[in-house]
Amino acid sequence: MQRRHKVIIYALMALVMIFFLGPILWFILLAFRHPSEAYTLPPQLFFEPYLGNFGDTFVDPGNNAPQLVSSVIVSTGATLLSLPFALASAYALSRFAMRGKDFIMNWYISLLIAPPIVFVIPYFILMSRIGWAGSYQAMIVTLQTLAIPFSVWLLKSFMDEVPLDLEEAAWVDGANRIAAFFRIIIPLALPGIIVTSMFTFVFSWNNVIFPLALSKQSTTTLPVGTISFFASSGVYWGHIAATAVVAMLPPMIIFLLLGRYVVRGLTFGAVKG
Amino acid sequence: MRNRYTWNRRLPYLLLAPSVIVLLALILYPLAFALCNSFWFWNLQMGPAPLYYSGLDNYRLVFQVTPFWVALKNTLLLGFLGTFAQFWFGMGIALLLHTHLRGTGLMRALLIMPTTLAPVVAGFLFRYLLEPKGGLLLWALEGIGFPVPPQGFLGNANTALLSIGAVDTWQWTPFFAIVLYAGLLSINEEVKEAAQVDGASAWRMFWSITLPLLRPIAAFLVMIRFMQLFNSFDLVFVLTSGGPGTASRTLSFNLYREGLVNYNIGLTAAMTWLVVIIVSVIINLYLFFIYRKREW
Amino acid sequence: MSKQGISRRDFLKAGGAAGAALAGATPLGNLARVAAQSDQTINVLTVGDPWDLALRSVTDQFTEATGITVNIETLGYTALQARLINAFLTQSADADVIAVDQMWISQMADNGWIRSLDDFIGMDSDANFDDFLPECLYSLSTWRNQVWTLPIASYAQGIMYRTDLFEAAGIDPLPSSVADAGMWTWEDYFGILEQINGMDLDGTSMYGTTVIGFQPVPVVHMYSQLSASYGTRWFTQFPEAPWDFSPTINSEANVAALHDWKRLYELSPPESINYLWFDAGTRYSQGDIGMFFHWTPYFYLVNNEGYLTGTPSPVVDKTATAVLPTLTAGGDQVVSLGGWSLGMPSTSGNQEAAWQFIKWATGAEAQKAMGEVNVKGHQFADFSRQSNYDDAGLNEIYPFLDTQLEMMKLGDGKVVRPPAPIYTSLEGVYGLQINQAMTGAVSPEQALETTETLFQNILSGNQMIPYGIESFDDTLENTKALQASLSGM
Repeated sequence: MQRRHKVIIYALMALVMIFFLGPILWFILLAFRHPSEAYTLPPQLFFEPYLGNFGDTFVDPGNNAPQLVSSVIVSTGATLLSLPFALASAYALSRFAMRGKDFIMNWYISLLIAPPIVFVIPYFILMSRIGWAGSYQAMIVTLQTLAIPFSVWLLKSFMDEVPLDLEEAAWVDGANRIAAFFRIIIPLALPGIIVTSMFTFVFSWNNVIFPLALSKQSTTTLPVGTISFFASSGVYWGHIAATAVVAMLPPMIIFLLLGRYVVRGLTFGAVKG
Repeated sequence: MRNRYTWNRRLPYLLLAPSVIVLLALILYPLAFALCNSFWFWNLQMGPAPLYYSGLDNYRLVFQVTPFWVALKNTLLLGFLGTFAQFWFGMGIALLLHTHLRGTGLMRALLIMPTTLAPVVAGFLFRYLLEPKGGLLLWALEGIGFPVPPQGFLGNANTALLSIGAVDTWQWTPFFAIVLYAGLLSINEEVKEAAQVDGASAWRMFWSITLPLLRPIAAFLVMIRFMQLFNSFDLVFVLTSGGPGTASRTLSFNLYREGLVNYNIGLTAAMTWLVVIIVSVIINLYLFFIYRKREW
Repeated sequence: MSKQGISRRDFLKAGGAAGAALAGATPLGNLARVAAQSDQTINVLTVGDPWDLALRSVTDQFTEATGITVNIETLGYTALQARLINAFLTQSADADVIAVDQMWISQMADNGWIRSLDDFIGMDSDANFDDFLPECLYSLSTWRNQVWTLPIASYAQGIMYRTDLFEAAGIDPLPSSVADAGMWTWEDYFGILEQINGMDLDGTSMYGTTVIGFQPVPVVHMYSQLSASYGTRWFTQFPEAPWDFSPTINSEANVAALHDWKRLYELSPPESINYLWFDAGTRYSQGDIGMFFHWTPYFYLVNNEGYLTGTPSPVVDKTATAVLPTLTAGGDQVVSLGGWSLGMPSTSGNQEAAWQFIKWATGAEAQKAMGEVNVKGHQFADFSRQSNYDDAGLNEIYPFLDTQLEMMKLGDGKVVRPPAPIYTSLEGVYGLQINQAMTGAVSPEQALETTETLFQNILSGNQMIPYGIESFDDTLENTKALQASLSGM
């Protein structure tokens, strides 16, 4: 490639990176600014870092610390609950020829892309009636409308890659399908199961509409917590940024860890990447 | 032996059953709930239970008291524009990544960061950057002479919806980029080399070889993104709350307002069914025309 | 007679014995009598308004005096509403004391979600019930001739303006008392705005004013003041009996008001179409707004550069407050009176302790203490009691209290934003249409015509037209009579 071309491409790449990462970095800086400096223009890249925003939100009075715990509970709960259902279904779809397979797969994906708000309002009433209003289980169970279809798709793509002969060898040894499933498929698909769980965790973590309608103050999650800083008496940009930064870290770290699986996860396994 | 055979034939259905049953319960309950209550007058601000049977009144009221058509138009516009922009920007960046120059690996890993954000967080981020007095992005754009509306982008009726689309595009272009890049990698080099031998220009090769081969991936991406944009709620909620006027109202936001602000359950139920019908039509059209040849 | 567990006689007996011994011993002396039944805990749900911060700072005093532990949970407005609807739907005792927006009283009372406080007030003379401004009770707390809540923070509306700018422009100070406001009209107000708009003050180009344009709730809060001052009423007859909710929102008065509202917007920063309440206050405190009207808490909030920053704003010694103008010289005035009150869910299992807390928090002592709290500036002057307005110490901290009191006394929360049971839905469409008119998408005439049609649809869809339930002649006079009878006068 010509040197001149290279220069142009590197310049474009730099522009792209500034465009996509710059706003995030700027927002992270906001979390470390004193509230009175939120709007200082021209922009100041260097300033004395102020930790009070994190202190206010997570230490004293620390209203957002319990929300962090809630986020972990809800996301972990939703992930763990979806796994057994998804494992069984993914195995069935991966290993058996059956009628209506396409239909089932399409049905799962149509659930994934249906507007969640449609379900949320009936859930709101339902949860009130059965006494689950504001509880963790209300959010964990309703999040399954997204978690199960997603996990089925992604897990199926991983199971498709476990060679059939290994499983057949186990059957010859006298193991039935179920035993072979646990002895062969689960261990070999384990990386895929972990990857799937991490994605389910992130999607549950970032979900706002279910917790917004179904949580109460003591169970609400961190992304919803950021919204409450739009009070009628003032908007606390420093507090919003501090909670948002904490809320964005786990998904970012998970995505960095997942590396080459990111493409596959984001396309529900449809694109191998 | 026969026992074992039927066992194996039934096994896949038994394995599918739990997830299907759970999902059916989770889906059918709200839909049935909405269908029944759409014929009742039920406003939680008036009382805890449905007050009386109101026939099709709620369906009529959807059109009479909520900005339904504007919201439908906005929702579709957001879906089309957003998907279009994200696809082509993403394609451009995918081609950059495909040069495999030093640094593209790192770029790929970091580029995806916007996509990892919760949409509310992305919303806050840009609300801050677009703040009329003191927002960095607005300041920078004004600095380079970009025509910034006096009310700011979020306060102007012509730019509010576009701004939401732009923020979504910022968030999801990296997703298109890395997935399309993966698609580019999967294209057999021999096909390209053969075309090169035939003397095809890079431009022609892109249009007549690369793009058609990316079609299955592209179709899938476009479908899920279009629908996610169709469902946009978080971004609208944080950035504009549907304003100014009805300039950025979406169907999801209408549902939120009637359901969780006005607590008019009957009206919301009617609106729910209208949205469910629209969504089903879109998804089925898509599956029928573009997507049916796909093998799972 | 009495509905709660502890009978009225028992209660009076206990109160008499302990009360006689301790009354006056401490500022909270009259509370000490429940200390005997201490180690109770009550849960209080509040909203993130300035008064919440002040209340939290002084709640220890209540616990010290009574032994009742108070858990205060603060929520955003929508979260609080969702939480309350949820609790009421399930009839669960989620809290013992709740913050109630004046708009919720009718639905909560009609559905039995909160309990009437009449018998508590009637038997408890140290509630000093007659000290409350009747306008505050009328606007925030009464429904169908019963008292359902007690006001914790009352807001009227008034004007803030820049004295240095007025001086530079050679404009006389505005009237800070109704007595001096005989000739003070909205036309004068607009005249001044046009004069100061675009003026240069020490290098800053000034905007005449700022509006709050965000739809639906914020814009209605500000617009309805102008509109009511111009004589707009939402319904044919309400709150006087017999109620007739046929909308009159498309009146000539309101069309004139909306035209002038657009004029106001033209004299404001263009981005104020997206302003929430605090955005307007913050903008003013940043120093490029000449004059604006807003809820009275902004009389003190503008002294800070931003809420909770603790930094004094550049306008701190250059601001004066004034009374609202009238449409015609010496004409009638209606001031928006809103705010928050404390109520008791009927499901609460701690009604006695809950009442003690409500009585204490809305009492003159606690209100004064809240006003004296100085965390990042003094942040509470939203008093509902005459004695607080008369208090010399508080007047020193908040020199605008006289003006605020006069605005309160012209206040009528039932006319400016009528608390009909489906107010939120009406406000939703109304705010949207005002906002539409501001963007220029529709003319003021069209906007109000649409509003009228939508009101008609919503009200008849909710069986409010015709109104089949019994009306109540809900007038200030009737509230005064109720206040007198409950105060034992």
